[in-house]
Amino acid sequence: MTDRLRIILLLTPALLVIGVLFFGGLAVGLMRSFSYMPVIGLTQPNLDAYAAVFSSASFYQSFLLTFHIAFTSTVISSVLAVGAALLLRRSFIGKPVISFLFQLNLTVPHLVGAIGILYLFSQSGSFARLGYDWGLIAKPADFPALVFDPYAIGIILQYVWKEVPFIGLIVLANMQAIGEDYEAVARSLGASRWQTFRHVLLPMILPGLLSASVMVFAFTFGAYEIPALLGQNHPAALPVLAYRKYTDVDLAARPEAMAMAIVIAVMSAAMILLYLRLSRRSLGRRP
Amino acid sequence: MRVTRRTLVGVSLSMALLAAPVARADTADGAALNAMSWDQVVAQAKGGTVNWFMWGGADNINQYVSGYIGGILKDEYGITLNRVGLTDTVEAVNIVLGEKEAGVLDAGSVDMIWINGENFRTMKQGGLAYCGYTEVLPNNALINWDNPAIANDFGVPVEGCEVPWSKAQFAFAHDSAKVPEPPKTIAALIEWIKANPGQFTYPAAPDFNGAVFVRHVFYHVAGGTDGLMGPFDQAKFDEVAAKTWALLNELEPYLWREGKTYPTSINQLNELFANSEVALTFDYDAAQFGLAVAAGRFPATTRSYGLEDGTIGNTNYTVIPFNSPNKAAALVLQNLLLSGEAQYEKANPAVWGTSPAIEISRTTPEVQAQFGQIVLPESVVSAEVLGKSALPELQSGWISAIEQGWIANVAQK
Repeated sequence: MTDRLRIILLLTPALLVIGVLFFGGLAVGLMRSFSYMPVIGLTQPNLDAYAAVFSSASFYQSFLLTFHIAFTSTVISSVLAVGAALLLRRSFIGKPVISFLFQLNLTVPHLVGAIGILYLFSQSGSFARLGYDWGLIAKPADFPALVFDPYAIGIILQYVWKEVPFIGLIVLANMQAIGEDYEAVARSLGASRWQTFRHVLLPMILPGLLSASVMVFAFTFGAYEIPALLGQNHPAALPVLAYRKYTDVDLAARPEAMAMAIVIAVMSAAMILLYLRLSRRSLGRRP
Repeated sequence: MRVTRRTLVGVSLSMALLAAPVARADTADGAALNAMSWDQVVAQAKGGTVNWFMWGGADNINQYVSGYIGGILKDEYGITLNRVGLTDTVEAVNIVLGEKEAGVLDAGSVDMIWINGENFRTMKQGGLAYCGYTEVLPNNALINWDNPAIANDFGVPVEGCEVPWSKAQFAFAHDSAKVPEPPKTIAALIEWIKANPGQFTYPAAPDFNGAVFVRHVFYHVAGGTDGLMGPFDQAKFDEVAAKTWALLNELEPYLWREGKTYPTSINQLNELFANSEVALTFDYDAAQFGLAVAAGRFPATTRSYGLEDGTIGNTNYTVIPFNSPNKAAALVLQNLLLSGEAQYEKANPAVWGTSPAIEISRTTPEVQAQFGQIVLPESVVSAEVLGKSALPELQSGWISAIEQGWIANVAQK
């Protein structure tokens, strides 16, 4: 058996899964998005579903909201994660315990986290009850709206809570691989703490930070369950909107749901590409 | 020829293996079942599994289905019941539809769905339901098909494509310690909402219960159900809808969170009521209030009530998809659900407390006596009281139009 054949054979199972399940599903979705659904009598492919998606105002409102959620969560998580990694690479008393606690919520499912946010931050949640006990608020409505709110604060809180350790661990591993020698050299040559971080450490951890944050961005842009649980009713995040179309009782709305799903996929792919290009360019400018 | 013992064992084993699937005959062929006697159907069903897809949001209902019904199926018929919980019935309809598209015509994954209204219309529209079997079920005799509220599912003729399971009527609930005199008409409710800002809201359509609440307002604006019954009428709809959206938008500043957002599900509304964020809640199934009080979620002073101008009632059903491979077992399950004993168990407020879909007068004297002894918890308004002023459901065309209209004109404004 030649090496070439062996490689192909070894790759086949993975390729089959990707090919059949992913591209197969994508192909069916594409077909339906072009209003081709013989089962309910739609046999003439057309672009009506896309036209309907792009001509509805709620689609654009949902897009803005979804972008806001994904972008804000990614930026806040990245900043906090780098800060946490900087602290955690030092040695201090109780570090194993702190490191353990830091990684703990990686194992908690998103859904469970969302329920936790709901119990803590809703207007009748734990914090609101404490506020009532301490006489800070008189009724639930006095507590600020942090879930089901127009700024998606609850959703972003949940994502930050969950993604900080994820990005943090990748960055920390990166930092430990790099070691502290480069920074020591910079410091000995007279660089300030900030200059050392900005011009020495940050460019070196940037590739890891970027790939981790791209994953977070892509995930938060396309995720359904958190906005469904913690989001307000309207405008809803794009995946929630697509799912609502998909569960519309009228079968004729299915093509629109598929068109929206395809648009979400294309948009997040485009944004990831753009993000990678921009960040590679900024990497290229490294001093 | 040396026929050893081992060969014999081997032969009989392989025969047993070959025979096993034959004994549990594939019962995807609905037409064949329709021509069988009940005993033949029960024999065919033995050893089968029923995958019943149903809304799974209430623990007591899940317990009744998996525990009580599942137990009898297993013990008396040798059938395994696999209850699959859904948040929205349309998810099961989507599965059947996807299977039909993919050409899965006799090996579908759904054997039965708890269904009514728009989803049933979708099943009929897409040719996704198994029909024409009701005469096979012995307990079909307990169903009064002459009652238009049974023979029509939200105005869509049933035509032997599903069998009724329960009846339900919409009811409101309040905490009598906080709101001693709740508003008893839609007009009074509107005044009450304005006088008590932030104390009321309703789940956003397409939530089932939220959409029913909007239909009550729609009926109120239309001045009754005259002219709304029958097929969808665009002109009439436009006239009533414009006024309904205006009224609901005018109410928004007085709703919970000033109407800037709405709860997305009935569970969320019940949560708000349980936490005293809102003063009123409602449900298509008044029994839920009693269970919430019993579980300590709602205050003991919770009471429920109907409206003087009537609340909407409906019948819900079970349907068997056209491509179910276990139709015989699903038929046995349907027949069991319709039995007087199972319907009584379901009507028992300690178990579930929902109204039977069968004619109690057609059941055995023992079952009738049991039904006579049912005592409802204080928090649950009885079906008789509610039934004094009941409103019919609209045909599906109206319901879709009202849901879409609400989303476009109230939620998105």
